Amino acid sequence: MNVLAAINSYQASALSQVMKTPALTAGAPKISGSDVLELSSIASGQGTQPAAASKGAFSDVLSQMVREVDTKQHVAGDSVNALLSGQNVPLHQTMVAMEEASISFQLMVEVRNKLLESYQELMRMQV
Amino acid sequence: MIDFIPGISGTAAALNAERIRMEVVSQNIANASTTRGPNGLPYQRQQVVFETVLQQRLSGSGSAGVSPQSVKVARVLPDTRPARTTFIPGHPDADANGMVKMPNVNIHEEMADLITSSRTYEANLAVIKNARQMALQTLAISKH
Amino acid sequence: MIEALFAQTNYVASKKLLDATVLRHEAIAANIANAETPNYKRVDLAPTFAAELSRAIADKSVSQVANLRPQLAVDGSATAANRDGNTVQLESELLRMQQNTMAHALEVQFISGSLSKLRSAITGRLT
Repeated sequence: MNVLAAINSYQASALSQVMKTPALTAGAPKISGSDVLELSSIASGQGTQPAAASKGAFSDVLSQMVREVDTKQHVAGDSVNALLSGQNVPLHQTMVAMEEASISFQLMVEVRNKLLESYQELMRMQV
Repeated sequence: MIDFIPGISGTAAALNAERIRMEVVSQNIANASTTRGPNGLPYQRQQVVFETVLQQRLSGSGSAGVSPQSVKVARVLPDTRPARTTFIPGHPDADANGMVKMPNVNIHEEMADLITSSRTYEANLAVIKNARQMALQTLAISKH
Repeated sequence: MIEALFAQTNYVASKKLLDATVLRHEAIAANIANAETPNYKRVDLAPTFAAELSRAIADKSVSQVANLRPQLAVDGSATAANRDGNTVQLESELLRMQQNTMAHALEVQFISGSLSKLRSAITGRLT
């Protein structure tokens, strides 16, 4: 009985957290750092100590990735701006920077998709 | 302007310079027999002098190192070699001995200059063609 | 983490080589433009670059490759064919330009190939 109550309470709290973030339920393609952190906290739950430690590490990893993707986007954007304003940027540097930024962003989107998918898989599990 | 093709301003300047040279050469050839000009003297051969020009911009990585130079026509000088004289007694411009001062234009020299000039012109056109090809390939990096 | 995606020695080396190829094209274009200028000495890539690049690749050191800087230098081994001191020979410049364009095509193809491979690895689709 106690175990069943615990699992039910986990489910309830996880669902309430999902309801709080409209971006997730609306399925918007835009993703921000806070969304990803929410996902990571839901996915790891309020579990045992090892789970809590890995939650800290994983959310750090994710926020690091978001920061790096952001840096790449800024670099590409600056390069395009410099090229358009006629400064001395070689064309190939701009093209490669744009392509790298696009690939990094795509990686982040795929990671987010996989996380969502695994969360939904988790929620579908019968108790 | 966006600089798609690296080094294009130098090549454009070279095309301009070669065109000016060709114009001067054709002017020399046209006046190869002009014994009296507006100043009363026979035509004097003109020649161009090329000079390098430091390009203002250097693309990308290159704070150190030599920067590529452009070219321009610095001066169009008259050739100071003496005029040829030919014996044509009945010529209106003949002097007391029947000698006429002809322009110091040597047709063979001018033809050689013309050939060199058009060869360099075509070489610069080939540079532009190659540069365009390189720029199009670069743009294809992002195509997928 | 994102930077590790793009930190293969081959990929970074071909990007650096692309920089050098574009710089070399500018040098050859300037040489051809000045083919008739008296006392002009031809310029080319500094000969140390090739040796440094192959050493950095042999050491498999990405940071070493990334720190290389290709530069132009006056070609000391070129001799003047005419009395006016011009060391440019039009035929060899044109030949070098053709080879340089082929090298450019190779490097661009390698970079595009690497990036599209990364993209298919991330999305799981081949195109």
